[in-house]
Amino acid sequence: MDIFHNLLYGFSIGLQPANLLACFIGVSMGTLVGVLPGIGPVGAMSILLPTTFRMSPVSAVIMLSGIYYGVMYGGSTTSILVNIPGEAASVVTCLDGYQMAKQGRAGPALGIAAFGSFIAGTLGVVGLMLFAAPLAEFGLRFGPPEYFAVILLGLTLVTYLSQGSVIKGLMMAAFGLILSCIGLDQISASPRMTFNILQLLDGIDMVPLVMGLFGIAEILINIEESANPEILETKIKNLFPSVSDWIQAKGAILRGSILGFFIGILPGGGGVISSFLSYSLEKRISKNPEKFGKGAIEGVAGPESANNSATSGAFVPFFTLGIPPNVVMALLFGALVIHGMRPGPLLLQDHPDIFWGVVSSMYIGNVMLLVLNLPLIPLWVQVLKVPYRILFPLILLFCLIGSYSLRNSSFDVIVMIIFGIVGYLFRKFAYEGAPLVLAFVLGPMVELNLRQSLLLSKGSFLIFFSRPISAAAIIVAIILCITPVVSYFLKIKKNTNPLLKVI
Amino acid sequence: MNSRSRFSGFFWLCISIFVCIESVQSGIGTFRSPGPGFLPFWSGVALGTFALILVVSDILKKKEGQKNINLWGGKRWRNVILILISLFAYALLLPKLGYLITTFWLMAFLYSMIGRSRLWVQGVSALITVLVTYIIFYVWLEVQLPKGVFGF
Repeated sequence: MDIFHNLLYGFSIGLQPANLLACFIGVSMGTLVGVLPGIGPVGAMSILLPTTFRMSPVSAVIMLSGIYYGVMYGGSTTSILVNIPGEAASVVTCLDGYQMAKQGRAGPALGIAAFGSFIAGTLGVVGLMLFAAPLAEFGLRFGPPEYFAVILLGLTLVTYLSQGSVIKGLMMAAFGLILSCIGLDQISASPRMTFNILQLLDGIDMVPLVMGLFGIAEILINIEESANPEILETKIKNLFPSVSDWIQAKGAILRGSILGFFIGILPGGGGVISSFLSYSLEKRISKNPEKFGKGAIEGVAGPESANNSATSGAFVPFFTLGIPPNVVMALLFGALVIHGMRPGPLLLQDHPDIFWGVVSSMYIGNVMLLVLNLPLIPLWVQVLKVPYRILFPLILLFCLIGSYSLRNSSFDVIVMIIFGIVGYLFRKFAYEGAPLVLAFVLGPMVELNLRQSLLLSKGSFLIFFSRPISAAAIIVAIILCITPVVSYFLKIKKNTNPLLKVI
Repeated sequence: MNSRSRFSGFFWLCISIFVCIESVQSGIGTFRSPGPGFLPFWSGVALGTFALILVVSDILKKKEGQKNINLWGGKRWRNVILILISLFAYALLLPKLGYLITTFWLMAFLYSMIGRSRLWVQGVSALITVLVTYIIFYVWLEVQLPKGVFGF
């Protein structure tokens, strides 16, 4: 009954006109960003973050969350019609979605992607409601050692599960921690790595850093290439899948929803991994695995459901433990901090309006997205035809205004441009920005909890192994860190190329 | 991986050494009482260690004859440099000339860069962009955009 009452309370917040508008803007922007190849949820959220400064914290989180799960819906459209994923979590949808479109079944592919996303998104929110309260109570038992250990595990998992090299991911996490230390020390208030630059005393702000690494860098890479995506000229009809389509896809949707939710909870999980795992699961259990890659509807339904429920799953550790499991949630974490809130176990007690308001808005947003993504498909197809030479100056301008408006300072604009160059070079040299951003956001928490733990234990690292939660987290993190090295030595023994696959 | 990993590995190695020196100057403290430089120092050590592994592994692989990939060949990287110069100029001129003038010139430049339209179309597009964003951000969202020496 408690959940029911809380949900009603949530709807009383979510249905307020300002919050409805925030939700609508969020899911519309999310769909737009998802449809457009080249700009992902992180870039879009960082660009739009300054527009939330004048909103209430609830509206701000509702809008930013809407962008996150809206992107997952929109991404499938580009994958199915253009064979280019709108964002990373829709990569796998290209395999069967585009094949279905080529066979004249673009309608059912888009339809099942939207319905699957809707069902998974809704089931994910139910999961979030059920898991959040007990986990928040569990989180209240966390002390500095537990927090440090769990965050360390999260950072390690993010780098381990990232698409590129593990060593490079770990380097990025270390660099993110270093960047987070710039400015005044939290405990002694003495300046660190500020190089006598006054603006650096407050540290580097997250918004220009993320805008540069993801927004500006993406534009620079796109400007360099001259790719003009070809849109499949097909008539989109029968958006409502047939009964046989539903029979084929229903299991995939359900499995994708459950799998995606639990993968989303894991640090480093999220839409990309869950969609790939769902695809391989569907292929493995299918009676006709040879159909996959040739237009199997399960290959669209499963991954699209998984990446949507993963977004709901990602909110569980965020709201209950205050630990963002991926870079998008790290950005949301930063947004809440800007609004004077700190996600964590006490958020549900102190600010139930934020948690239940966001939960209810996710139900509302999922309905909005279904409406936006089915009848309005032709509109999104038209958006795909907007030339990049018109889009890129606008995206650049939004980034410039966004970074300037933070503190009304050109310094932040320059910081953003510098990180744009850094992000561009990262792409060139195959480094990933996500572990850096996550480490940057979590850096102050890592430092505070590490130093507090060491002060409590009088310098003994055994404090991390004397408590069950921190011990388990630290041991797993250590195993993940040394796995590449062990694997290296094993390959040396076998006298084969040792680091090719490890690093 | 190829020589780009070796190059970047050396770069990160230099960064890690620099960070460690800076951290020592800030004061690392002890394990019993960690100082302000404690986390940056150990993060720098970790960064340097991983960078070293990257360089060594790349040297080992080089011996096996992996080919280098040309990162710049066939790319329109001159566009990238032009955009970066224009962005830096924008950041420096924005407080002096104000939002309207600086943004108009930046937009006109960007539209002309990869566009094939006529000059007046680029100018009108830039003007519309500036006015629309001014209304959205300055009037509607009340973002404090700089006015510059001309007062607008």
